[in-house]
Amino acid sequence: MSELTLLATRHSDRKRDALASLFRVSPNGFIPWLLPLSLLVLWQAAASYGALPPSILPAPFNVAKAAWRLLLSGELLTNAAISFKRAFSGLIVGGSLAFLLGLSNGLSRISERSTDTTIQMVRNIPNLALIPLVILWFGIGEEAKLFLVSFGVFFPIYINTFHGIRTVDPQLVEMARSYGFKGFELFRRVILPGALPSILVGLRYALGIMWLTLIVAETIAAQSGLGYMAMSAREFMQTDIVVLAILIYALLGKAADGSVRIIERLSLAWHPAYRKGVRS
Amino acid sequence: MSAFALKQSETIRGASVALRHVTRSFGTKPVLEGIELDVKPGEFIAIVGQSGSGKSTLLRIIAGLDNGFQGSLSIDSAKGQKTAARIMYQEPRLLPWASVIENVAFGLGPQSTRHQAFAQARAALDAVGLGDRGGEWPDVLSGGQKQRVALARALVSKPDLLVLDEPLGALDALTRIGMQSLLERVWLEQGFTAILVTHDVTEALTLADRVVLIENGRIALDLAIPFDRPRRRGAVQFGELEEHLLTALLKSKSKTEEYVI
Ligand SMILES: Nc1ncnc2c1ncn2[C@@H]1O[C@H](COP(=O)(O)OP(=O)(O)OP(=O)(O)O)[C@@H](O)[C@H]1O
Ligand SMILES: [Mg+2]
Repeated sequence: MSELTLLATRHSDRKRDALASLFRVSPNGFIPWLLPLSLLVLWQAAASYGALPPSILPAPFNVAKAAWRLLLSGELLTNAAISFKRAFSGLIVGGSLAFLLGLSNGLSRISERSTDTTIQMVRNIPNLALIPLVILWFGIGEEAKLFLVSFGVFFPIYINTFHGIRTVDPQLVEMARSYGFKGFELFRRVILPGALPSILVGLRYALGIMWLTLIVAETIAAQSGLGYMAMSAREFMQTDIVVLAILIYALLGKAADGSVRIIERLSLAWHPAYRKGVRS
Repeated sequence: MSAFALKQSETIRGASVALRHVTRSFGTKPVLEGIELDVKPGEFIAIVGQSGSGKSTLLRIIAGLDNGFQGSLSIDSAKGQKTAARIMYQEPRLLPWASVIENVAFGLGPQSTRHQAFAQARAALDAVGLGDRGGEWPDVLSGGQKQRVALARALVSKPDLLVLDEPLGALDALTRIGMQSLLERVWLEQGFTAILVTHDVTEALTLADRVVLIENGRIALDLAIPFDRPRRRGAVQFGELEEHLLTALLKSKSKTEEYVI
């Protein structure tokens, strides 16, 4: 019996190892940061020697000062929090609708036949093209942003969930059926894990679209948030704040991507491509 | 005395299988035409035949995966109950997201409780010599090891009937010989009824009590293999039977496939 427990622990150890390897700094861990850091140094040098006028591009040091100023006044965090809340409400609303519809269309032909064509048609509308209409509908309230973000994240998640379910190995499904698996058990043990890699690819695309949509929506139709902050700074020629906002977008994008990577490493530990050592 | 006779004197767990006038067509094309086959409890049957002769179709019917046939099929356990067959495919069909031992426990079906399932799975893994690999992911195993895990999964529920569709077809010659003796050993130990589809005449002669040749959707030959077990591959006594079988197989080819130049 103790051996059995051992087997089980060995298995959960693996998940922990996968988690640990994410945070371990390897000896070569600084290499990816070499390029951005040297660009930063170059940029600062160019600005200090007057090659870059501050009205075009402020020195990194001034951007840092702006960041500090806004941090102290609380403006930065408030706006970031508002943007974050908008982004994730949109992701949750649009993402869960897309996931459920992807599941239902992937599992049932009737459901697919009644909705898929419509979805494919609507999919070809760029979501930002809806901004004028959305402003007419909702003004510049929260609903406008929620709608645009939900609309944007819907398609990548829907398509990849649907595709993931349809491409689950039919031989595995037949095998599972022959062992008496059906209904929810078949779904939980075979279909969902088989579709998961594709679903996570969808999530990753969705996160990119989520930020893009939100920032554009906030610059056009908002009175708070990071996009608004950048837009109003432009009116007062505060290039340092504009640049700061752009840098924050880059960081947010990276953070979103990183969190999906963590989810992938944890839930796809079985997948050779996500195993420790292969992708470090 | 053959091993089959030996086994009969002990308690036999295997199911008996009876097919009566089983016919199966796809569209208008008949694949099986009136198959009559009786398999005794604990017997090991090998089915040979040309590619496309309907071996897999027959096996899928016996395994309960295909209900679109005419005729009747009955599978009765030694205790006279209806029982289900377990199937092993040419591919291992392991779930890549489940550890080796979870894959074996999968063979117990959805109802089994986890703890009891793991203990049984462990025993089945031991029986195929992979007791220490339970915690690993299937894709790190070699082809032969994966097929052994698939065998453990098929056997963990102690089936009365195991059907195998060229389970060793994708393995290299050496691994194959090892798997054949493993298969023979567990069959002797556990006493289930086995029906094996194979392309390999020597494999059929090494393992089976009876070899059945399918040709044009019918059983063209039903040959008892009288040799004692354990059998040595390529033993001299095989010679004559092997030639007999091969000739029958090749003859069936010239009938089913006519080349026009
Ligand atoms: N689902 C199906 N639909 C249509 N035709 C089928 C189907 N399954 C099998 N067949 C046909 O039935 C015939 C017998 O196929 P089967 O797979 O049983 O052959 P086999 O003897 O197992 O061949 P092999 O040795 O190559 O595996 C083939 O002509 C095949 O095309
Ligand atoms: Mg076949």
